[in-house]
Amino acid sequence: MKDFRELEAEIKKASDKFTNIESINEFRIKFLGKKGIISLEMKELASLSGEERKQHAEKLNKIKDSVLEIIASKTEELNSEELEKKLKSETLDITLSTSKSYGTIHPISQVIEEVITIFGDLDFFVAEGPEVETDYNNFTALNTSEHHPARQMHDTFYVETETDGMPNVLRTHTSPVQIRSMLKQKPPIRLIAPGKTFRCDNDQTHSPMFHQVEGLVIDQESNMSHLKGCLEIFLKTFFETDKLNMRFRPSHFPFTEPSAEVDIGYTKKGNQLIIGEGEDWLEILGCGMVHPNVLENVNINSNEYQGYAFGMGIERLAMLKYGISDLRTFFDSDLRWNKHYGFSPLNIPSIIGDLS
Amino acid sequence: MKFSYSWLTEHLKTNAHFEEIKNKLTSIGLEVEDIQDTGKAYQDFIVGEVLEEKKHPNADKLKLCKVDIGKEKVDVVCGAPNVEKGMKVVYAPVGSTIPINQMKIKAAKIRGVESYGMMCSEYELGISNEHDGIIRLEEKETVGRSFSEIYGLSDIVIEIGITPNRQDCLGVKGIARDLASAGMGELLERKISREKGSFKSPIKIEIQDNKICSAFAGRYFRNVKNTESPEWLKNKLKSIGLRPISALVDITNFVMYDENRPLHVYDADKIVGKIIVRTANDGESFLALDEKDYYLKNGMCVIADEKKVLGLGGIMGGESTGCSTETKNVLLESALFDEISTAKTGRNLSILSDARYRFERGIDPNSTLKGIDLATQLILEICGGECSEVELAGNIKENKNEVSTSSSYISKRLGFKVSDKELISILSSLGIETSQTGDVIKCSIPSWRQDIHGEADISEEVIRIKGYENIPTSNIRLKSKINKNILNYAQKKLMKARHFIASIEYDELVTFSFTDSKNCEVFGDINKLKIVNPISEDLDILRPNLLPNLLQAIKKNKNRNFDSFSIFEIGSQYRSTSPEDQLNVACGIKSGIKTEKSWKNIQTIFDIYDVKQDLTSLIDYLMPGNKKISVSNDCPSWYHPGRSGSIKINNSVIAGYFGELHPRVASQFKIKNKINIFELYLDELPNTEKKTTNKPVLNLSDFQIVTRDFAFVIDKKVKSEEVVTSAFKVDKELIRNVEIFDLFEDDSLGKDKKSIAIKVTLQSNEKTLAENDISEISSKIIKSVEKSTSGTVRS
Repeated sequence: MKDFRELEAEIKKASDKFTNIESINEFRIKFLGKKGIISLEMKELASLSGEERKQHAEKLNKIKDSVLEIIASKTEELNSEELEKKLKSETLDITLSTSKSYGTIHPISQVIEEVITIFGDLDFFVAEGPEVETDYNNFTALNTSEHHPARQMHDTFYVETETDGMPNVLRTHTSPVQIRSMLKQKPPIRLIAPGKTFRCDNDQTHSPMFHQVEGLVIDQESNMSHLKGCLEIFLKTFFETDKLNMRFRPSHFPFTEPSAEVDIGYTKKGNQLIIGEGEDWLEILGCGMVHPNVLENVNINSNEYQGYAFGMGIERLAMLKYGISDLRTFFDSDLRWNKHYGFSPLNIPSIIGDLS
Repeated sequence: MKFSYSWLTEHLKTNAHFEEIKNKLTSIGLEVEDIQDTGKAYQDFIVGEVLEEKKHPNADKLKLCKVDIGKEKVDVVCGAPNVEKGMKVVYAPVGSTIPINQMKIKAAKIRGVESYGMMCSEYELGISNEHDGIIRLEEKETVGRSFSEIYGLSDIVIEIGITPNRQDCLGVKGIARDLASAGMGELLERKISREKGSFKSPIKIEIQDNKICSAFAGRYFRNVKNTESPEWLKNKLKSIGLRPISALVDITNFVMYDENRPLHVYDADKIVGKIIVRTANDGESFLALDEKDYYLKNGMCVIADEKKVLGLGGIMGGESTGCSTETKNVLLESALFDEISTAKTGRNLSILSDARYRFERGIDPNSTLKGIDLATQLILEICGGECSEVELAGNIKENKNEVSTSSSYISKRLGFKVSDKELISILSSLGIETSQTGDVIKCSIPSWRQDIHGEADISEEVIRIKGYENIPTSNIRLKSKINKNILNYAQKKLMKARHFIASIEYDELVTFSFTDSKNCEVFGDINKLKIVNPISEDLDILRPNLLPNLLQAIKKNKNRNFDSFSIFEIGSQYRSTSPEDQLNVACGIKSGIKTEKSWKNIQTIFDIYDVKQDLTSLIDYLMPGNKKISVSNDCPSWYHPGRSGSIKINNSVIAGYFGELHPRVASQFKIKNKINIFELYLDELPNTEKKTTNKPVLNLSDFQIVTRDFAFVIDKKVKSEEVVTSAFKVDKELIRNVEIFDLFEDDSLGKDKKSIAIKVTLQSNEKTLAENDISEISSKIIKSVEKSTSGTVRS
């Protein structure tokens, strides 16, 4: 029987000399190539017979496997060495960088979306009305007759068009949306109406254009205690605080009775305003039970239905929540301001995620 | 409304602490806006007398004074020009604080001479702007007396905000009444003697129009002396910031602030014949007490005599019958003027006066004669003379409102149980008389409450007196939803657009809805957009387009050294000032540097293809799914005619534009950069609200994808899009995509020619395409493109 010891020794000897992929290739050809030593031995098997052939074949196959394994492992070894070498030469200066920037969402849009998110969760839909309004919708239907003293507190912008003989106005508040909505829809009603409002006033604390959000709930039972509950949830959620001192004070709006102004507590720590706690009060919104005259004006029976309304300034909410000190900067289009106070477009207010 | 605490206590007997009263005022709706404890601020200042006055040895303008302050005599160095021997002065001792600058007085050496304390001017005390010299008190003042007593400053002055409905609290008495109702004490009735009068008034009164003035009471006084008012009266007025004028005028002011009853006094000797209350005639004019001439219009309420207009009823008296120190005989007026007519006239003539403020809010009719009585008592006491009987024209109608309510209505509105007993007790504390029949409680509203008309008003009174802090808090979450959608499709579209645009690097701006008409002719019909009373000349119209304000923003920020702009606004622009002519538009601008030159990039600048891409991807985002977007050259005139396009969706309406700002418009706005704009008319986007949540069926082919490139030489004026569409239409099934990958313009191609290269992607759903399939479709593509572009394929 043929002894393959010599072959094995030769394999071992050859396999110690690998320096690169080519030498492995030579090794493979030498033993496994068409005319390689093992291939030739395999051919010779045909001349053997019986038990001898079987034994030879077995042995040869083992040797063949060992050669294949040597090739595989050595190839792997060499590749890995090569890669290590390559990696060492492939260095980049990671302190260099390029930047990708997003744009920004204006704080007014952000706050409006936050307000919509909170009230949406409480089943208030978003209603709208035009910015140029009829005198009737802006005042008269809201129980503010032509010569009502409350009209003087609204420095109204007038335009040249008319409706029913009265000049149209730039709406002085978002309350006319109440009228438009109630004429369209029967109770139960739950809505908010954010939007632009206008008053002919321009100084440090007044802007001729500003934003408000109106809220309206009309059904058969909503009362002052619901109003209080509603505003409490809203303010706590909006200011992202569990503690909220809230104070209702009597006030007067022609379209609500009783009317109230709502103050929230705050303290000042350095330059920071901490909303919710503290002995000092900040006026935050006006509200009340919808005046029966307003309901009658939109053909809702005030003996059957009642409800509440509220209105607040978006800029004021934004200023208090985000520490913006000057009202007029909102409309100044100073890009430094927008980039600083603006919000990421990816950060859409959410009840389950982050509101802001 | 300002009043002093001591004045309040003339009407209110109370054991409550000041703090308690202060808090109660706010909680019953009389919001405390300011408190000035003047007593505290002035407590250290006393009367001194200058005993000696000589020149300072080391300073020309300073004087050395010896001042007697009662318990001792002190040396004071003084710089006032008017200081002299024997003068009574206001002395600020060492340790006191000067109100105007909060400076604490210390004993000090001034130019080498010791000085103890200071003599003060009105300015330094924060009383007036008078700072030319120190205060000269009357000679009779006693040395050592507290200065605040003399000026009536030893008091707390409270300022409250009065909402338009609370006319009853425009007098101190009304405030006291409301506090008493809220349990803060007992309302005191002032003792007023009712003079009958010893003769008939020689001046008759005629009301010609009882709609504008329902009653006019007049009383004639003869032989009065219109002196200076006594100290108590002057100080009362001063304490609330009013300037004392003369006894007669001061008395009417006092009655107005005390009882909320406006009065007027006429110099009776200057009235010709009788008093006539009538409407003005167009063109009449008169000189009012504010020394301005007013030109009157028909319908305004005037008080006239037989010759001339004497005053505007309920608003302001006239100069011609004003009282002076020489006045001997006067006519006192107490009238009831109509609220609406007073409001109209006041607004028309832009006169703001205390009387107008009160009459347009409604005056207690019962105060008409009470006011006459109180004023009579004071006039006789201070000015002497004799009074006539009261001459009353018209009728004093009490107009008592009656309101029926029930405790169940009140409870339902307020959200907690109010019993009949509690309701009746609160109402009676407010002076509202009640009578009960079954559940119905009938309320009789007192004449001073002109604002209570219905049950809702009663509910406010109840909670106001009970306290808003007693309203419970109820849950508002509902068992079932009442609104199908929170946001409608259009609103969602707006919000999505905002976030998408910001995500592609634009900063959102919010600018005014107004703009300057000057640069806006190109954007719309500015004559249809005018604001009647603009806040300023350069904000005189509603914006016809979002661009003008955005362009201004670019200019402003350019001055702040910005050189790359990506800004947008989503908001309304207007076709006219009719309510329905408002459109929702998204407008974005990219201008200036797109990529900064860096170690990695070369500098590039924004061009119209950037905004075109933004606009089309925005439309894609807002309207996912199949649609046909086509581009054409018909842009509005604010665009560069050769570098702009309009975008049509599904061949119907134009939804938006993109392009470069017309150079003429740019130069109007003084902008040198190229401005690349997109505008999307959000209302025009077809509604593609999802009808099903299912996505369309996905058909995938596993057969091989093949690409082939073609290049065509065509005329420059032929739109490259034509090449794409004509290739596409050859086989809608096999051709999956056609894309332009090269654009080449060179004279070697021929005059006005360009080369467009396209890559066509082919795939079949049924088989792997064989070479002859591909060459067949390739030649069809070439034929189709050549035919529709009149071009030739490049080989």
